Amino acid sequence: MFSDLSAQKEGSSLLCRPASENQGPVFERMLLAYSPCCERFKAGERSFGRQYAHIYAARLMQMRPVLSARAQQKWGTDVLIRKLCDMETGEQCCIVGTLFKRMDLQPSILKEISEEHNLLPQPPRAKYINESDELILEDELQRIKLEGKIEKDKCVTGSVIAIYGAERTDGKFTVEDYCTADLPLQPTRPELSSDRFVLLASGLGLDSSQGDSMLGLQLLVDMVTGQLGDLGEQSGAATISRVILAGNLLSQSTQDKEASIKAKYLTKKTQAGSVDAIRVLDELLLQLVASLPVDVMPGQYDPTNYTLPQQPLHRCMFPLSSAYPTLQLEHNPYQANIHGVRFLGTSGQNVCDIQRYSSMDSHLEILEETLRLRHLAPTAPDTLGCYPYYQKDPFILEDCPHVYFSGNAPTFESKLLKGPDGQEVLLVTIPEFSSTQMACLVNLRTLQCEPVSFSSFCTDEDEECEMNVSH
Amino acid sequence: MDELYLDNIDEFVNDHNKIVTYKWLSLTLGVHVNTAKQMLYHYLDHKRKESSAQLHATYLVSGKFVDNGQTGHRVSVVREDQLEDAKAKMSLIVSVHVYSVQKALLKDSGPLYSVDYDAVKNNLKDCSKYSAIRCASAVPMSSLELQQVREKQQASTPEPENKKSGMNGEAGLASKPSAKPQKGIMGMFANKSAPKNQDSSKDIKSEQKEDAPVVDASKSKPAGKAHPMANFFGTQTAKKPEKPAAARSSSTAEQQHQSSKPEEKQEPATAVQPKHTKKDSRSKTKRTEDSDSEEEKLKKKRRRIKKPDPDSSDEDVIPDSPQHMETREPSPKMEVQPVTPPGNSEVKIRKRRRVLKARTFVDDEGCIVTEKGYESESYSETEDDFEAAKQAQTRDPIKVKLPSSSKEDEKKSQKKTSRNANKGTKQASIMGFFQKK
Repeated sequence: MFSDLSAQKEGSSLLCRPASENQGPVFERMLLAYSPCCERFKAGERSFGRQYAHIYAARLMQMRPVLSARAQQKWGTDVLIRKLCDMETGEQCCIVGTLFKRMDLQPSILKEISEEHNLLPQPPRAKYINESDELILEDELQRIKLEGKIEKDKCVTGSVIAIYGAERTDGKFTVEDYCTADLPLQPTRPELSSDRFVLLASGLGLDSSQGDSMLGLQLLVDMVTGQLGDLGEQSGAATISRVILAGNLLSQSTQDKEASIKAKYLTKKTQAGSVDAIRVLDELLLQLVASLPVDVMPGQYDPTNYTLPQQPLHRCMFPLSSAYPTLQLEHNPYQANIHGVRFLGTSGQNVCDIQRYSSMDSHLEILEETLRLRHLAPTAPDTLGCYPYYQKDPFILEDCPHVYFSGNAPTFESKLLKGPDGQEVLLVTIPEFSSTQMACLVNLRTLQCEPVSFSSFCTDEDEECEMNVSH
Repeated sequence: MDELYLDNIDEFVNDHNKIVTYKWLSLTLGVHVNTAKQMLYHYLDHKRKESSAQLHATYLVSGKFVDNGQTGHRVSVVREDQLEDAKAKMSLIVSVHVYSVQKALLKDSGPLYSVDYDAVKNNLKDCSKYSAIRCASAVPMSSLELQQVREKQQASTPEPENKKSGMNGEAGLASKPSAKPQKGIMGMFANKSAPKNQDSSKDIKSEQKEDAPVVDASKSKPAGKAHPMANFFGTQTAKKPEKPAAARSSSTAEQQHQSSKPEEKQEPATAVQPKHTKKDSRSKTKRTEDSDSEEEKLKKKRRRIKKPDPDSSDEDVIPDSPQHMETREPSPKMEVQPVTPPGNSEVKIRKRRRVLKARTFVDDEGCIVTEKGYESESYSETEDDFEAAKQAQTRDPIKVKLPSSSKEDEKKSQKKTSRNANKGTKQASIMGFFQKK
């Protein structure tokens, strides 16, 4: 797609002697209208004294009408929608509620400090699902155990769904069917007359030691800014109208967890590992923002708050690049409107968390699941840190994005999802750049996505090898 | 095209043993990146034909690449011997060009990054100058725009003040809290000085009185006349007379201007003051530095303080000050300074006086150092007030003030007398202290 667009028909123009004194052609950057829609992720009063129960209450209240409508659509308008307290045993009915998965393996601070059990600290695991997990549905007042046709391993705590079935005499609910809120309605996408691209990258993983893997990153920057390649490549690069960096700009190694444990006088003279990395990032960003708009989202390892929604990185960390109006420091759940194309995405924490607490492994599958649940991060606040909202849940999707992405995925995957109401959503998992040397280009005209990979060479093997330098 | 660049590249590659990448060349020679790529190709071609010393090159190959059924765009840097191989793997070749030329065979591509990194770092401001893509909107904002964007929150304080505060740092913080009480003291001084000035036709005296508080804040400010200033500086510390003179001028000007336009004057004064304070701090001892910093802090507060001060003292001062004003051009600066001195005197009375007294002793004879500590210990806010009160009651207080601030004494040109007076004042103050108790 991008290659075809950039291919030159008359062959290479650079494998020849310089023709004249003139300074070569210059292409104008194709820019598109942009409007950020991040109001709902902006930190308001920052009061952390509240309980998290309010989020679940607000979430259920906001989702109930949607799910009731879905239930009637699916099981007929005369379906009996009950609350748990009104339900009678054996009655076929539909219940809307929040899922809770009781998991034995779920790390619990209470378990760890309980001396009675005298347990060893639980080792961190890749997956916390177990055969003994139980699925429970809660509404405002009560809860009930679920059995039947519902895959408990696939479900995660915090999802609001509607179930259809009947309560048995033993007090458990036999699920015959269930439904999710599914895709919300989607605003129409304006037609574009020509190809325009948005480049998505994540997991740059900068740290203070500049390894060989930096060449790949430099190639990415050079390609986007129109330094490398032939004329065709440069004219193609000029159609990249925006770059979105989806989190984890810094490597995990820049986080020094011992710093908070050590005595202050011991660490007084040591510099945080992130200082050098931020400086390198600033220089990289400067090269980018001098050529096109860049949206910078924070990620799990970046120096901002840890809980979702993550607030933008502070400008003062980028003394060089923040002088440009093209640098946009964004929130972590990122939402913006680029020429009428709605972008929504995260740096990947929500997807990684669901991956740990469900049987789903593919980031793309999880991404689709969250879209169908109509919730960005259902596992927040249970296993994913989030701000204690109490009047609204900002992670509920109110309208359907056109491009829905998550960052820091192990591999690049993309899929064009078609909704029942004519929605068209491009799902993209952005690969972690530091380990895959890959970014991806989204074509706003066709909603297609393709990876862009960068490679260099080393002599350990005769073959050219990708720089799979995963730290 | 002039082929001098061939010699240039040859020098880089062979003599300097550099890795010459197209980007480095573009930034070094100031040519378009595509031209740089062509130059490298031409150079390589030229050298190959000469079949001289062996050269190694790396190429950039990009194109459509199919990997596990996933079609994508691939950009790779390859050595020359892998070039055909890499091209064969691409299903569609978009661009091929020389990436770098070097004498040694590169084992891995790490050095290529380092070379570019250094070049880019030295040309961060125009790193996209020679690229093939222009972005009209990617223009760095001016500092003014930046401030508007970033600092809607920040107070509309003038820049010079901010800088000063930054310079002062810690000291400033300490002085701020004391500023409020100083106002009262300032008012005292101003009132006293005004009557004195009226009574005494000598402008100097009035200035001195006013300066006295200033002196507390900053030693350099007090003296209105150059000679007294010089004496003062010489005695206190080997400061440059010019700087103190400026300070003096500023102080006098401040007094005059305050009455007329306090706000406008404040800004320039703040600008001037930082210099004085810095100079003072250098020359002065640590204690003096503290006082300077306090002064600076006071200056910040000055704006607030100024309004009350001008009401009482400014009018009185104005008639007196004109003479001094004429001599001293930086009148606006002066406004700010006078304002601060009162604040300083109020806030920091105890500490400042200690230091000042010590200095005055040094100024007079340059020998006595022991008194510094002694005097400082003895003083307290109440004592200061006492002194002020005494001064107000009689003209003598002026002298007392002058001794406290050696500059004032200098202005009078009666340095010795003033010093004596200072000593006397100090004693008096001590006496006053005991009496109070």
